[in-house]
Amino acid sequence: MSTDHANVIPSYMRVFYTLCVLTVLTVVAAKALEFPHTWGMIGDILHVTIGVVIAIIKVMCVMYIFMHLKFDNHLIRIAVYVPVFLFSVFVFALNFLETWHYTY
Amino acid sequence: MSVGLSLAHEPVTRIPHGKLLMWIFLASELMFFSGFFGAFIVLRNTNYDVFGQGSAHLSWPLALLNTFILIASSLTMALSIYHLEHNNRGLFRLFLGLTLCGGFGFLTVKWFEYSAKFYDGLFPGQEHHTIFFSFYFLMTGFHALHVIAGMIPMGFMWMRSFSKKGYPFPRKVETLGLYWHFVDLMWIFIFPALYLMIPYHAAIPHH
Repeated sequence: MSTDHANVIPSYMRVFYTLCVLTVLTVVAAKALEFPHTWGMIGDILHVTIGVVIAIIKVMCVMYIFMHLKFDNHLIRIAVYVPVFLFSVFVFALNFLETWHYTY
Repeated sequence: MSVGLSLAHEPVTRIPHGKLLMWIFLASELMFFSGFFGAFIVLRNTNYDVFGQGSAHLSWPLALLNTFILIASSLTMALSIYHLEHNNRGLFRLFLGLTLCGGFGFLTVKWFEYSAKFYDGLFPGQEHHTIFFSFYFLMTGFHALHVIAGMIPMGFMWMRSFSKKGYPFPRKVETLGLYWHFVDLMWIFIFPALYLMIPYHAAIPHH
């Protein structure tokens, strides 16, 4: 690891506050955000999409700063970002296709 | 001119072996949890009412508290590594101890959550058990086991930090830190999936 050359504590604190705010935002989006019932299952897809997008932003924050990908070898960065991207596509696509299949 | 074969144990990637192995292990863990999430999504979308009623039965404020505990423990873990690298033994011990407390806090909240489910007659593997609670106990149970698995070496490192020499292996603490952050990452997905994303049009009885 190469945090020796830099004071990373302010970055850690910023990530911590960002994670707290995004966690509150996840709850608010899930509990308070209402879509018109005429939208049908699109409302459910939007709810899930918002939740997953916030979760992915949180995950990227943790990996980039807390797990030191910012300071790490580019090989590790590629090896981590590609599976996370594929995992996100998997969650999005599966949810969208399944909802679509059982609704229409 | 022949090139001699070097058998020296040098990491060709310039990434320490322990750290590289931990990343490979975490990749396998990601696949393990992907299976859970894939099955969860498919079954959720074919059983809206069952998943809606199950999700509405869970206590999201307790899960939110656990989320904050894990986020805070991720911060203290990162701070403990920073202070060990800068040879601040006291602060390393303090922050690693706080991370350990975070793990205990998480498990305590989980204990209360499970107790409430058991009190309501919801156990894993019951015949009348809904598919939602099978997922709930499986995903949160495996996650809690991961927390315990992280706390064991962490406790050992913390105890050794009280010795005269302190804990002299920052790379090992960093590798454990990767694991601990991964446990936090998985909870970041489990929390909204199980507790918050109640299917929009599920028929949920009002008590």
